[in-house]
Amino acid sequence: MKRFTLGMIFMLLAAPSPSASAGKPAAGAAPAFRLPAVHGTVALDSLRGRVVLVDFWASWCAPCERSFPWMNALHDSLAGRGLEIVAINLDKERSAADAFLAKHAPHFVVAFDPAGEIAEDYRVMAMPTSYVIGRDGKILLTHPGFDPKKTDEIEALIRRECSP
Amino acid sequence: MRVQLDSTPRPAFVRSRLRAAACVLLAAGVPAAARADDAAPKYQLDASGLLYGEQGRANVVEPVAKLTRLFDNGASLGGQFTLDVITGASPTGARPTTSIQTITNASGTSSTVQANQLPVTAFHDRRMAGDIDWTQPVGALFNATSSAHASVEKDYSSLGAGETFSLDTFHRLITWSLGGSYSHDLVFPVGGTPVGLTAGGAFTGVARNPKDVTSVMAGVSRILSRQWMVALNATSIYERGYLTEPYKVVSILDPVSQNPTSFLTENRPTRRSRYNITASSVYHLTPDVLYASYRYYWDDWQLGSHTLDLRFRHELGNDSFLQPHFRFYTQSAAKFFTLGLIQGAPLPDFASSDQRLSHFNSVTLGLTYGFKPHGYPGEWTIRAEYIAQFQKVNLGPTEGTDGAPVQTAPDAFPLLNIGTLTAGYSLSF
Amino acid sequence: MTRDVRAAALALALAALASGCAASAVKPWDRDLLAQKKMRFIPLPMEHAVDEHVYFSKEGSTGGMDLAGGGCGCN
Repeated sequence: MKRFTLGMIFMLLAAPSPSASAGKPAAGAAPAFRLPAVHGTVALDSLRGRVVLVDFWASWCAPCERSFPWMNALHDSLAGRGLEIVAINLDKERSAADAFLAKHAPHFVVAFDPAGEIAEDYRVMAMPTSYVIGRDGKILLTHPGFDPKKTDEIEALIRRECSP
Repeated sequence: MRVQLDSTPRPAFVRSRLRAAACVLLAAGVPAAARADDAAPKYQLDASGLLYGEQGRANVVEPVAKLTRLFDNGASLGGQFTLDVITGASPTGARPTTSIQTITNASGTSSTVQANQLPVTAFHDRRMAGDIDWTQPVGALFNATSSAHASVEKDYSSLGAGETFSLDTFHRLITWSLGGSYSHDLVFPVGGTPVGLTAGGAFTGVARNPKDVTSVMAGVSRILSRQWMVALNATSIYERGYLTEPYKVVSILDPVSQNPTSFLTENRPTRRSRYNITASSVYHLTPDVLYASYRYYWDDWQLGSHTLDLRFRHELGNDSFLQPHFRFYTQSAAKFFTLGLIQGAPLPDFASSDQRLSHFNSVTLGLTYGFKPHGYPGEWTIRAEYIAQFQKVNLGPTEGTDGAPVQTAPDAFPLLNIGTLTAGYSLSF
Repeated sequence: MTRDVRAAALALALAALASGCAASAVKPWDRDLLAQKKMRFIPLPMEHAVDEHVYFSKEGSTGGMDLAGGGCGCN
């Protein structure tokens, strides 16, 4: 019995230490991308001068469903003041993404990154994750996850950036 | 002797749902069930009904209903009610013989058993159980689940509580769990508590015998790839108190003929330390899923077992599936298990002929069909299972009174066949 | 198996499970399959509870994937 307990303790202590670079999403200049969108393509470079909200989402992600109405509301109120929303989909199957989009009609741009290359560049750590990119192309805020009750900080930042 | 099917609190039910949710949420969580078109569901209803039959022996009907309230922050509160109605006959532990025998059971009542028939006793019992569990996430990575249960039947009652914690680490790739539970049971045999290893009719005078069960569990689960997750769990269970089966007996055998001549009540130790290690794997074969687990069990009664469990969920489309199930189980006998005590030999401290403590193998074959009727809410499952227990019991040569070996017939205890039919229903609203 | 061997085997298996490069292995956006309800160790809890009860009543072993919690005069 004592040896059994020792085995348990050994197990708990045998956890590996995380590597230094893991756990930190991208910061500084927002990594560039050029991705196919629902209509045509979208490139981050062409959005310089606007406030960009980049949101990484997928159809199987429960909180993503609740983020779409919020992003629609943001788009409706701030698109005229310089806000651009690019929701980058990470589904492996386009059909799953299409089914989701049919149910939650977005007012904003939706792009597709099925191989996850751009998500890798942005070092996405959770699903969903949003990045607020300033008019100068720098990442101002990273917002992992989505909870409709906890959008105050990110919304306040976007509104501030969008005021002329 | 009772085919008791108990209902135990399953904190892991809700906890495993939250753990498997791959999405990380900031500060608050949403249960995995939140995939409906509307707002996240607030309630979950789960119901099941079991029909259980043992050839020529017990029949059980067991409905279970569970209602869980889901909260926005990922917390949940669930309550479950179980009803067990058991009728039938259960082996007493006495050996069948080649002639008619009269059996006096532990309470001193006599009955007659035909030749070559396993002595059984009829019973009817009804058991009710209630379980509560509450899961509370603390932050995005930690979960605490508290549970309590109570059950009562004609000769047994149980009251217990437990707590389990789980922690997600390394971006939820590795999840650690630690849990403990305690249960205080009471055994109050009908007719009184018999004194162990005596011919029927002697009672201890104790009406309610306590039994305490404490258990500790530690586990770790890990996501190995996009399709594969594995887990390792280890559990220790300590039982103290009245662990004997009050209605079961042990035969006294004539040294020459090996026929039972009389019976003694059985007697088991008052402590038992039990351990098991279980390795599990879930592998996604897009779209099918393979579930496999292996459990190694041992205790200080020297009973050991290996269990291999395989299920293959085959998707049929239209939200329906077929899941065949195969389970293989092999058990080695408890050190005091005996098919009969030789008359004249000194009495051991402990002895039991309970087949469930003996050396046997068991194979289960089952099939589950799951479906969601179009246009109707909820998901259904129907499952049929067949369990066969078999053992080659060969007493081997034993020494007669003159010291010469005496060969005895094999198959002292027959095959056990169990059939079950389970229906399940699950609804989120 | 002796106690020492069992404890050692358990500790090694657990250490192996818990070690190795974890962070880079499965990206958050690769968790699509794992997010499905059927990708759990106990995908059908009610069925699992029935199994636990039946085998607890008919066999000498107990426990497995979740915590044991008493409740009947079975074995």
